[in-house]
Amino acid sequence: MDGEPDTGRVAVELVDVRKTYQLGEPVHALDGVSLAVPRGSFTAVMGPSGSGKSTLMNLVGCLDTPTTGEVFVDGENVAVMTDRERTRIRGRKVGFVFQTFNLMPRLTALENVALPLVFRGIDHDERRTRAAEILDRVGLGDRLEHAPNELSGGQRQRVAIARALVNDPAILLADEPTGNLDSETGANILALFDELHAEGNTIVMVTHERHVAERAERIVHLLDGEIERVEEGPDEDSGGAWATNGDDAVAANGDDGSIANDDGSTTNGDDAEVEGDGE
Amino acid sequence: MKARTSVTMAWRAIRSHKLRSALTTLGVVIGVAAVLTFVILGASLQADVIGDVSPDDRRNVYGWAAPPNSSGGPGAGAQPVFTPRDLRNVENESAVAAAYGFQPIPTQTISAKGETVPRGSGVFATGREYVNAEDVAEGRRFRTGEREAVLNPTAVALFSENVSVGDELRLRVPVVGEVNATVVGITEDSESRSPFEGFNPGPRVYLPTDPYVTDVTQSDRTRFSLIVIEATSEARTGDATRQARAYLNSSASDAADFGNENLEFRLQTSVELLDQFQDLFSTLQNFVVGVAGISLLVGSIGIANIMLVSVTERTREIGIMKAVGAQRRDVLQLFILEAMVLGLVGALLGVVVGLAAGYGVAQFVGLQSLVVPWEWGAIAVVVGIAVGVLAGLYPAYNAAKTDPIDALRYE
Repeated sequence: MDGEPDTGRVAVELVDVRKTYQLGEPVHALDGVSLAVPRGSFTAVMGPSGSGKSTLMNLVGCLDTPTTGEVFVDGENVAVMTDRERTRIRGRKVGFVFQTFNLMPRLTALENVALPLVFRGIDHDERRTRAAEILDRVGLGDRLEHAPNELSGGQRQRVAIARALVNDPAILLADEPTGNLDSETGANILALFDELHAEGNTIVMVTHERHVAERAERIVHLLDGEIERVEEGPDEDSGGAWATNGDDAVAANGDDGSIANDDGSTTNGDDAEVEGDGE
Repeated sequence: MKARTSVTMAWRAIRSHKLRSALTTLGVVIGVAAVLTFVILGASLQADVIGDVSPDDRRNVYGWAAPPNSSGGPGAGAQPVFTPRDLRNVENESAVAAAYGFQPIPTQTISAKGETVPRGSGVFATGREYVNAEDVAEGRRFRTGEREAVLNPTAVALFSENVSVGDELRLRVPVVGEVNATVVGITEDSESRSPFEGFNPGPRVYLPTDPYVTDVTQSDRTRFSLIVIEATSEARTGDATRQARAYLNSSASDAADFGNENLEFRLQTSVELLDQFQDLFSTLQNFVVGVAGISLLVGSIGIANIMLVSVTERTREIGIMKAVGAQRRDVLQLFILEAMVLGLVGALLGVVVGLAAGYGVAQFVGLQSLVVPWEWGAIAVVVGIAVGVLAGLYPAYNAAKTDPIDALRYE
C-alpha cells in the first residue's frame, strides 16, 4: 500500500488501480489509475467509450473490485471487502444517479427514495419522513405518491437524486445524469447538482458533454484505461480559464497516495483550495 | 430488511401481475382441492359404509369356511359346513362362552297388526347371545326353541302402527311359506350388531336358529355357513379362536370332513375385519391422493416457471435494489417470500374449493355422513407453502446472485 488515505479530506481514493478482464486475451479496462476525490468536490469524468469510465464508476460505487490496487471509499478499502461488506458500504456511502433513472416502476416516488433505507432496516415511519424531506428538497414535495410513469423525465431524475441522497452518502455518483433529458430539463438537473455541491456533497459525474463537465471543479479525462489528463476548473482569480494538469503529475499524485501536495504546482495548489472550499 | 417490509414488497409484486399470479396459483389450488376432495370423499364413504363398530361385539369371533384363495369381506366364499354339534363342541371349549350359527332368512314380506310390508333382507336367525341383554330396551331376548323375535327400532318403524312386545309377526319365506313369531323384545338402537349384518344400520328382525333354521332343514342336516363364537372375555378372543380352530380342524369336527373341497376356516374378530376394510380404504385413498398429488407437483412446476420468468423480467430491478444496498439475502428473502405467498394463497383457496367440492360430490353421490379430516386441510396448506418455497428456491437463488453491474445494464 502506498499510504493511508487522508479520510478527513478525501471521500474516495483510487491507488494504482488496475482492472483486467479475461476476454480471450487480457483487457485492461483500467491500467494503473490513481485518483483522489476530496470531500465536497465536484469531479467530472470524461472519455470515449471503452476508456474505462464505467469501470471507474463501478469501482468507486463499490459494485466491483479492482484486480490490483486499492479503492478507498470514506476511508474503507473496498478492494479487500467481501461482497456483503461492499454491499453495505454501497448502500450507506454511495448514492447512484443513472442516465436511465433506474427507478423501481411499481413503487411510488416516496417508496423509491425510501428503498435504500429499507435495506438498512430503518422502520417504516422514519423511512417515509426522511424520504419526504429529501423529495421536498429536490422540489418534488407535491409528487410523493406518484409512480415513476406518472412523472416527467426531469422529475424522475429528481426522484433518483433524492434516492441517492437519502442515506447522506460520502459520494454522489452520477452517470450521464442528463443523457436522457432535453437540454432545458438537463440544465435544471445540473443546476440541482450545483446546489447539492454548494451544500457540501461530494459529486463524481461521468459525462461526454463538455458543457456539462465544465460545471465541475475539475475534469478527469480517461483514455484506454489511463488518466490522460486532468483539467482544473477556474477559480475567481484565473478568469474562467481551465488549466490542464499533465499526465505525469496525476500519476505522481496517485503514486504518492495523497493529493495535491507532491510537486507544488499552481494547479495542485488550486486543488487544495478547492478541498478547503468544499469542507 | 424487515420481514414485514419483505411481505409487503412481495405482495406488491404479486399484485402487479394479477392474471399471471392467478394462473400460477391455479395449479396449487387444483392440486390442494383435489387432494382434499378425495380425502373428504374417502373418509365420508368409509364412515358411511363402516359406521360405528358396536363396542358390544368385541368378545365375538366370526367364523366361516371358504376356499383358501377366496377374498373379500366377512363371510366371503362361506360354505355351509358347521353343524349344531360342531357349535356345541366349540361352546364347550374353555375360552368360549357361546357358539351359535348365523343365517339370513330370505323373506318376502313381513306382516304385523294386519299390515304387510315387503322386506327382503334384515331378518337373521341367530343365537340368543347375539343380542346382548343390556341392549334390549323393551321386553327380553328370544329363547332358543321358541317362535320369538327381537326387533330393532327401525324394524318397528316399518309399520305405520308401531309394533310392540307381544305382537304377532308373520314372515313370508319363499318355499317354506308363512312362519310366525311373537315379538318379545325391542333393541335400544338400530346399529349393526356384527359384520355379518353389514355395517349399515337398518331394520332388523332377530330370530332363534332353532326352530327357524333347524325346522326347515331338519336339525340333523342343518349346516351353518356363518358362526359366531363368543369368548368368555375380550382378552380371551385369541384363546377362543385357537381352541375353535383346533377343534374344527380335528377329525372330531363335522365341518372338517364336509365334502372333499379343501376349505380354510376363517375366524376373525370384528376389529380385525374392520381393520381389513380400513386397509382397503386407505390403500384406495392413498392411491387417489397420490394421483391428486401429481397435480400439486405440476402446480409447483408452474410456480417455479413463473418465478424464473419473473426473476429474468426483474433483473434490472434486482440490480437497482443491489445498487442501493440490498444484500443477497434480502433479494433471496424477497423472491422466496413471493413464491411462498403464491403457494399459501393457492393452498388456502384450494382448501376452500376442496371443501366445497368434497361437500358437493358427497351430496351428489348421496353419502349420509360428511367427514372432513381437518388434519388433511392443514397438511394441504403446509404442502402448498412448501411447494412455493421449493419452487421459489432456485429462481430466488438466481436472483440473489445476480451481478448488479450486469443487471443495471440489462434491458
